[in-house]
Amino acid sequence: MIRWLRRQRSLADYTLAALARRRGKNLALVAIYAVVVFFVASAMFFAAALRSESTAVLADAPEIVVQRLVLGRQDLIGAEAIDKVAAIRGVTDVKGRLWGYFYDRINGANYTVMVPDDPEMIPEPRSVIVGEGIPRARGFTWKGSPLFLSRETGDLKKFRISRTFGTDSALMTADLVLMNEADFRDFFGIAPGFYTDVVARVRNPQEVAKIVEKAGYAMPEMRFVTRNDIIRTYQKVFDWREGLLAALAGAALLAFAIFAAEKASGLSAEEAREIGILKAIGWDTRDVISMKLWEGGLVSLGAFLLGAVTAYLHVFFFGGTLFAPVLKGWAVIYPEFDLSPHIDGLQLTTLALLTTVPYIAATLVPIWRAASADPDAIMR
Amino acid sequence: MIELQSVTKLYNEGRANQVEALRGIDLTVARNAVTVLKGPSGSGKTTLLSLIACMARPTSGRISLDGELVSGLPESFLTELRRTTFGFVFQRFNLVRGLSVLENVMLPAVPLGQDHADVRARAMERLDALDLAGKAQMKVEQLSGGETQRAAIARALINDAPILIADEPTANLDTVLAERFIDIVTGLRAEGRTVIITSHDPRIWGAEGVDAVIELRDGQITGEFA
Repeated sequence: MIRWLRRQRSLADYTLAALARRRGKNLALVAIYAVVVFFVASAMFFAAALRSESTAVLADAPEIVVQRLVLGRQDLIGAEAIDKVAAIRGVTDVKGRLWGYFYDRINGANYTVMVPDDPEMIPEPRSVIVGEGIPRARGFTWKGSPLFLSRETGDLKKFRISRTFGTDSALMTADLVLMNEADFRDFFGIAPGFYTDVVARVRNPQEVAKIVEKAGYAMPEMRFVTRNDIIRTYQKVFDWREGLLAALAGAALLAFAIFAAEKASGLSAEEAREIGILKAIGWDTRDVISMKLWEGGLVSLGAFLLGAVTAYLHVFFFGGTLFAPVLKGWAVIYPEFDLSPHIDGLQLTTLALLTTVPYIAATLVPIWRAASADPDAIMR
Repeated sequence: MIELQSVTKLYNEGRANQVEALRGIDLTVARNAVTVLKGPSGSGKTTLLSLIACMARPTSGRISLDGELVSGLPESFLTELRRTTFGFVFQRFNLVRGLSVLENVMLPAVPLGQDHADVRARAMERLDALDLAGKAQMKVEQLSGGETQRAAIARALINDAPILIADEPTANLDTVLAERFIDIVTGLRAEGRTVIITSHDPRIWGAEGVDAVIELRDGQITGEFA
C-alpha cells in the first residue's frame, strides 16, 4: 500500500511538472473545459434552487383546491360548494378564494389579483399591496403613487399602493396585486356568494387521495387539485426548462469530448516521443496510463472546480443572468430575486461525473494506443 | 552473461517493405566487461542492442540472461527487467525537455514506488559522481552536449542497473568529451557493471578499456575481437 501511495505521489509530481511545461496549452484547455462545466452547472444549480424554493413556498399551501368546470374550463364556484366539501370526513378548514388575472393594456403585462387570507394583509378600501414588479413595469416608484386599473367596462379605477412585497418573495409575488374582498368583487363584477375556487385543509395529509376520491363522487362537476399535483406541475415545468438547457449543455459537452478525443489521438510528436522515452526507461503501459489519468484528473478537476464555483457565483450572487429567461420563464413582469443556495452531494456528484468522466474517457483510448507502442521505437 | 542463439529480427514482416535487420546472430556478452558493437549505419547495431535490452522481441531465436530465457517472457516481465537490470543511454540522449536535470534522473524510479527523498538523494549522488550536482535544478535544454550525456548516464544508473546500454554515445561529441565518456565507462566496469555500447567511432572501439568488439555488417556478425 505504501509503495502504491509513493508511486502515485511520484506520478502526480511528474504530472504536475509535465502540465507546467505546456502551461499555455493546458490553461487554454482548462478554460474551454471550465466554460462547458459552467453551462451545465448553472443549469443544474438554477433549476434545483428554483425547485427547492417553489417546494418550500408551497409547503404551507392548502392540501386541496376545488375548481368548478364549465365546458372544460374553470368557472366561478358557488358558496354551497364550501358546505359540501366541509361535510366530507377528514376535512378541517374550507374557504372560498377570490383571485384572477388582470391584463394591463398599458404595458402588456398580466397581473395576478387576489384577496388575501391573512387579515393583516388585507388592504384598506381602495388600497392595494403590490409585488415589486408592478411599479417597475409601470415605471414609477410605489411610494405615494396611485395605481389606475381599467375595469372590464373600460372605466379606470384608482387604487392607492399601500406597500409592496420585498424581493425575497419575488418569485411568487412579483406580479401580485392584493385587494380587499369588496374592491375585488366591485372591480371584476363578481356577485356575492361566488368565488374563484375553494380551498380545503385535511386533518391527515395521508388521506388526501381518499378524500379527493370521495369528493369526486359527491361533486362530479368539480375538479380537485392537490398540493402535490401543483408541486409536481412546478417540478415538471422546471424539469422541462432545465432539460432544455441540459440538452444544450449536453451538446456542448459532447462537442468538448470529441475535441478532447481529437486532441489526445493527435498526440504531438513531442508527447509521443516522451511516452516512448518513459517506456524505454522502464515505465510500462499501466504507468503511462496512470500518469495520463492523473493529468486528465487534474485538468478535469481544475476545470470542474473553476466552472462549478463560477456557476455558483453566477446563479446565487448574480441571479443567473445568462439563463434566467429560460429557467424563470418569459414575462413582462420578470421577478427579481436572489435564490437561496441549494446544493446537495448528489447534485455535485452528478455534475462531477457528467463533466469529468466524458473527458477522461475520451482521452483514455488514444493514450492507451500511444502507450502500447513498442519502446524500441524510441531507439530508431 | 547474455547469450543470443540464432537470433533474427524482421521489421514489417510479411509486407512489401519487410526489412531483415538481423540474420542468425549467435553472441555471448560477458559480465563485468565493456563490449562494443561496431559497424556502419544500417548494420543492425541498434536493433541488436534493443533485443539485448528487452525493448523488442526477436522474430526467431533465443536470448537468455544469466541462463534464464528472456526472449519469450511476457511484457510485464520485460518491463521489470528494463527497470532493474538495464540502464539506457540513447543516441540523442532523449532527456525529457522542460524538466530539470534532477527530475530527468529520477524518472526511471517513478514507477517503483520508492521513498521520494531516497530517490532524490540517490539521484544527487549520481549527479555528484558525474560532476553535475551543481546543475541539478537546470532545465536539460540548458546543458552542453557533454553535460547532457552525463545526465543521461546518471538517469541510466539511478536504479543501480548492473548492465548499462549506450547507443552511439559519442556520435555528437568532441574528442575530449569522448575520452571523458571512456573514463566513465571504465569506472563503471570497475564498479562491477557490464557495459554494452554501439559505436562506429574508432575513439570508442579502439579505446583501452574496451574488452570486446563485435563487428556487424548487413545484420550479421562479421568479426569478434577481444
